[in-house]
Amino acid sequence: MSKVINPPRRKFIKSAMTVASAMALAKVAPTWAVPQGRKFRDQVIHDDTVNLKIARTPLTIGNKVGNPITINGQMPGPLIRFKEGQRAKINVRNTLDVDTSIHWHGIILPTNMDGVPGVSYEGIKPSRTFHYEYDVQQSGSYWYHSHSGFQEQLGHLGPLIIEPKDGDIGADREHTIILTDWTFSDPAEVFRNLKVAEGYYNYQKRTIWDTIKDIRKQGWDKTLNQREMWGQMRMSPRDIADVTGSTYTYLMNGRDSAMNWSGLFKPGESVRLRIINGSSMSYFDFRIPGLEMTVVAADGQPIKPVNVDEFRIAVAENYDVIVHPKNQPYTLFAESMDRSGFVRGTLTPELGLEAAVPEQRQISERGMAAMGMSHDMNMDMEMDGMSGMKHDMKGDMKHSMHHSMDNMTSMKHDKAVLPVEKIKIEHDEDGHGPGAAMLAKNPTSRLDEPGIGLEDADHRVLVYKDLVGAHPWPDEREPERQIELHLTGNMERYMWSFDGKEYQEVDGFVEFNYGERLRLVLVNDSMMDHPIHLHGMWMELENGHYPRPRKHTISVKPSEKVSLLISADAPGRWAFHCHLLYHMEAGMFRVVRVS
Amino acid sequence: MKKLLTAIAVSVLATPLAYADTPDDWSRPVPEHYFAKVLFDRLEWAAPDQAEQQAVWDMQAWYGNDYNRIVFRSEGGKSTESSAATELERAEVMYDRIISPFWSARIGVGTRGELSSDSEMENYAVLALNGLAPYWFEMDHSLLINDEGDAQLISEVEYDVMLSQIDYLQPRVELTTNITDSEKYDRHGGLSHLRVGLRYRHEFAREFAPYIGVYWDKSLGQTANQLQQQGQGTSDWGFVIGARLWF
Repeated sequence: MSKVINPPRRKFIKSAMTVASAMALAKVAPTWAVPQGRKFRDQVIHDDTVNLKIARTPLTIGNKVGNPITINGQMPGPLIRFKEGQRAKINVRNTLDVDTSIHWHGIILPTNMDGVPGVSYEGIKPSRTFHYEYDVQQSGSYWYHSHSGFQEQLGHLGPLIIEPKDGDIGADREHTIILTDWTFSDPAEVFRNLKVAEGYYNYQKRTIWDTIKDIRKQGWDKTLNQREMWGQMRMSPRDIADVTGSTYTYLMNGRDSAMNWSGLFKPGESVRLRIINGSSMSYFDFRIPGLEMTVVAADGQPIKPVNVDEFRIAVAENYDVIVHPKNQPYTLFAESMDRSGFVRGTLTPELGLEAAVPEQRQISERGMAAMGMSHDMNMDMEMDGMSGMKHDMKGDMKHSMHHSMDNMTSMKHDKAVLPVEKIKIEHDEDGHGPGAAMLAKNPTSRLDEPGIGLEDADHRVLVYKDLVGAHPWPDEREPERQIELHLTGNMERYMWSFDGKEYQEVDGFVEFNYGERLRLVLVNDSMMDHPIHLHGMWMELENGHYPRPRKHTISVKPSEKVSLLISADAPGRWAFHCHLLYHMEAGMFRVVRVS
Repeated sequence: MKKLLTAIAVSVLATPLAYADTPDDWSRPVPEHYFAKVLFDRLEWAAPDQAEQQAVWDMQAWYGNDYNRIVFRSEGGKSTESSAATELERAEVMYDRIISPFWSARIGVGTRGELSSDSEMENYAVLALNGLAPYWFEMDHSLLINDEGDAQLISEVEYDVMLSQIDYLQPRVELTTNITDSEKYDRHGGLSHLRVGLRYRHEFAREFAPYIGVYWDKSLGQTANQLQQQGQGTSDWGFVIGARLWF
């Protein structure tokens, strides 16, 4: 596992400068704004008033021309740069023929500025301009995106960077890297394919040959046991991403691997990389072969530095890392979680150079942990079949699980007990209804696991357990109340919901009392990872550390339970949803009301 | 007191958003979705060993949301014999309601018979259980009750063996059981008919997959006895070539 180290000594460039040279420097643009740092001249806006024009513009994406939604003519949109403490003033002009919106992801602001149509305002009508205005109370890396329909999938998004008051970014230079997944198909068509044809985009399913291979490798008994378990559940261990590289072109700052987005540095400089996952559906595993990364911020908020070689970035999450490159090019490698594709860019001292591109890894299969067994080996779990047909798999699982359970127990041996581990989980009496194809009867904490496909990595991979807040947060009260929500789904009809109820079926709010401190417990009753995002308030992750890390998006693994502390300090209505775009659209969405 | 009231009034007015419900004219953040799909599970040319060659279809179409759907299903064949009328094996309109994650219940009405001017159609009510059984067996069990009160159960099971990401071997079984005798339609109680098929299909796209295959038909029980008495065969087999397609 990764190790927590002391903060690297920051380089204060200015400290060594004379007054004269400092004045000379003040005339040139800051390091983040100059094309010296960019092979591609993407727009950076750092004006008092930000003007954004939303349009549909044909652009070359990879080797084809697509028709994305552009912001000021580019996709992803321009980098907006604010300074902590300033007043943000943004005019968003809609030149589309449908409503649009912009949500400021991870930003603390008044509810009517949050930009979710139907929750915080009515949206921005065609040919109208909406004026956003709010006080910028925080610093760090964030992003913005449309919250209307499938517009995010069309590229309606961009990075939002807030400089701290003292202007110190902790490095000599910085680059912002926003990862996206682009499809030339109409996103509404993608959604329909998911709804009417299960597994449409998955071209890595198990075949009969995989079963034969398993029999050769591990014998009949174990293979049949495993097939029986998955067969009983009618689920696939290869169901890792709903939408895959079979339709997606993965992009780094809007460029595919061939276009090779490149960021420059001068030898000897420390570089802060702000990595944002602006994808609709794709988790990425990010690494820079040959370069150690020091993670210094998660979801824009500072954490105690952690040195890693790779980290998984869930949809809508963002991490800041500091690297110290030598005088050579490095590949920035972002591989999709299901291994169906990747995008690379280059960090280089000189334009035109590139480094070796690593080979893609093979898809992994979900293991027993995904099915929701507990560490005391009382692994009964229920699967819904025909009414009255419930299967108890206690015996079957025990057998084939024995081996990996041993590993798990030893892993957990030296771990402090997390609050969530003491919380007894309850399911609805009806097993959350037809919207939940699976119930994790004994969900566990999986914060110390890197996730599917990274378990056997031979280098350091970031896990949530590594995250330690850089300093305590203002509200140190114990939670007065607990809210439990289950993440539920049914792949057959592509139903996604909380507690088995799609948003369309729910009329009420998730009620938070204004001013209260509460604990939110999330239980993942599905076979997929879900990045859960709360608008308007931070979620402090109870991962056993103090200070706790706080996040705007928390990724929950299959059959995992996590607990989060929230200070309900923001009155109003706030969206709360899975940030996988098609899961949200399918109904994995709620409105939290703080009153 | 006045101070307190003012304070309350101010605090209420100052946070109107926290208390106001969403205005009616705002669109919902996540809309309700309705979809439609037409699936020809089998659209094939059958060349039996004994009987005449014929074109066969087996299709379903639905419209609705995740919970409630309207389903139309139809199955039948047309022989190459020029005098032969189209045989409509079943045509049904049903309401489909999901009852558990993998199963839905259906209720509706149907009709079947020869599509010619001089033959009378058999109208019936249908109750069906449709879904995915453990181990990914695609199943449909339909109970048909006609206006005479005659009941029949038709069960279909399909399974896809994946040979590659786009190649499938699909065994298929269809079993017809007459729950009651039917004088009018000359049906005998008990097991009446079995159809077994094996098809290999290759997907050119998820939506379009041509296939080739073989099938075997067998009459059972009383039905078979009667055919034998009439000097007719009770089984037949044949090749099929066709396509599975949906849109």
